[in-house]
Amino acid sequence: MVLLTYLLLSGLTTGSLYALIALGIVVVNKATAVINFAHGELFMFSGFVAWMLHVQMGVPYLPSLLAAVAFGFLLGAMTDLVAFRPLKNANIMSIVLATIGIAFMLRGTARVIWGGKGDYLPFPPITSPEPVMIGEIMVIPQQLAVIAGAIVIMVCFAAFFRLTRAGKMMQATADNAKAATLAGIRVDRIYMLSFGTGAAIAGAAAALMAPLTLLYPDMGFAFFIKGFAAAVLGGLTSLPGAVLGGISIGVIEALAGGYLHSSFIEVSAFIVIMFVLVVRPTGLLGFAGPRRV
Amino acid sequence: MALFGRRNVLVAMLLFAAVAPAFLNAYYLFVANTILIYVLLSIGLNVLVGYAGQLAFANAAMFGIGAYGTGLLQVHFGWPFWLAFPLGALIATAVGLAISLPALRLSGLYLALSTLAFAQFTQWVFLNWESVTFGAGGFKTPAISFAPLPISKTLGLYYLSLILVMVLFALAQNLVRSRIGRAFVAVRDGEIAAQSLGIDLLRYKALAFGISGFYAGIAGGLYSAMLNFVSPEGYDLFQMVIQKSMIIVGGLGSIVGSVLGAGTLVFVLEALRKVKGVQEIAFGAILVGFILFMPGGIIGFLKGRVRGWEEPLHRARPVSRPPIVATSESREVRP
Repeated sequence: MVLLTYLLLSGLTTGSLYALIALGIVVVNKATAVINFAHGELFMFSGFVAWMLHVQMGVPYLPSLLAAVAFGFLLGAMTDLVAFRPLKNANIMSIVLATIGIAFMLRGTARVIWGGKGDYLPFPPITSPEPVMIGEIMVIPQQLAVIAGAIVIMVCFAAFFRLTRAGKMMQATADNAKAATLAGIRVDRIYMLSFGTGAAIAGAAAALMAPLTLLYPDMGFAFFIKGFAAAVLGGLTSLPGAVLGGISIGVIEALAGGYLHSSFIEVSAFIVIMFVLVVRPTGLLGFAGPRRV
Repeated sequence: MALFGRRNVLVAMLLFAAVAPAFLNAYYLFVANTILIYVLLSIGLNVLVGYAGQLAFANAAMFGIGAYGTGLLQVHFGWPFWLAFPLGALIATAVGLAISLPALRLSGLYLALSTLAFAQFTQWVFLNWESVTFGAGGFKTPAISFAPLPISKTLGLYYLSLILVMVLFALAQNLVRSRIGRAFVAVRDGEIAAQSLGIDLLRYKALAFGISGFYAGIAGGLYSAMLNFVSPEGYDLFQMVIQKSMIIVGGLGSIVGSVLGAGTLVFVLEALRKVKGVQEIAFGAILVGFILFMPGGIIGFLKGRVRGWEEPLHRARPVSRPPIVATSESREVRP
């Protein structure tokens, strides 16, 4: 019982981070029908920026997080400028390969700046590292901080989408880009905004996650695959689905790691991806659009 | 036939490759052998991506499966290289065929991601199935010998690679001009249209995956024999990016382009061998740069600018018409 609650809590923690990454993937995919394969690297890079500010320059935690968000937005917008806007009318293969090219450029840059393979950078915890006992359950405050932070970010994001003009324009573009153009929305800007917003959420997730684990240049892809598994499970175009999928993936891998073998933490996301894509490509909350001819 | 036409250049390259060991030192011979192996990889990948239009990311995994299959059959069962090598390639082919099953249901992004997940899964198996694959440290393969022939292992392996490249190049070149190749192109350009022409999608997609798996498996077997060492690191995502860059740089949908792309990029890879971060930046930049500014690749440039490189199908047109220039607008590439 104690093990189970412990696993559930840690699954919920990582799951909420996966949910944030999945949200970023879904925002981009909803607006542009493209998956940004550099998403994991944008996440990693923003995390390193937060680390640099917080650990190396002594900036307090909250401004570092905001800086990571801003930096993530810039990187995302840059991805749009380089890999999406010029290739919008090319086939999907070019866009995918261009985002992968960007991913590797960022990964290489991070490796050159922040150390070689196997260098893990620690990030000091923002709360006291001592576990707290709530009844029988052992809780690490950092985990609660991450979950709370993730909830705050999700609420902010939902508010942005529902309440602001930019959010509404993004929804309109996602629904029907042509109609949005006719209504006077500059869709190119909205695409850029979507790439930026997706990456900004990834930046926030990175700054939240950094105190919990270590930073290393290869982490981007691992988190991208997890976030993608979450997005696929949720249906790739559904924002609540992304959150649900993220938490499910987190809990699934925590349980698999606790009860089967620790190496299954790594692999459960791949199995979920392959299984969902083959059995139910529309995911839990997605819907199948008409087949394009 | 122009002096620097396709055939002359290819023959010159082949002659150079044949006599090269006489004056190359050990390191450059290693580089030359690496080029031959990557030529095989990129031809296989180009058939799958450039001709059949299946954006799959499992080629590095199949390369690894070929290398691991060849190596492990020798280590665990004590089989000779001559038996383990073809069987390793066959295992990779079988895996390629197996991946093609989901490919019938998926396309575009979904195919890319499910094959990416498969590639990571393979990597995980290499790392974690320690009783068989020896885990992260990898393992040494037994040294092979070309016993009845009076040549050293390096030289023997080089000529074995060269012969295989010649045979498999000719095979691919003929394949893409055959009924099968035309079916691949039809599947790439429009699945529904291809189906309505009576092309069995499952069969041709499976065939394309199987062919690329076979080429990658052969390359993997040669690679494991060349290095005498197999470890998971060589078959990761970066390997995939290297191979993807090769076919983009060479030109999608061109067998000769695959050869040129592989040849060029192995040199880049070797020049930057010291720093992994710089290698990654360079290959990322090459990928982005070519997609944005030279989507036809080297072969597209040659076809447009150099006499004698026009595609055979184009060459039959009447002389009075202006030469067909493959500009960046005409993105389709004919077999």
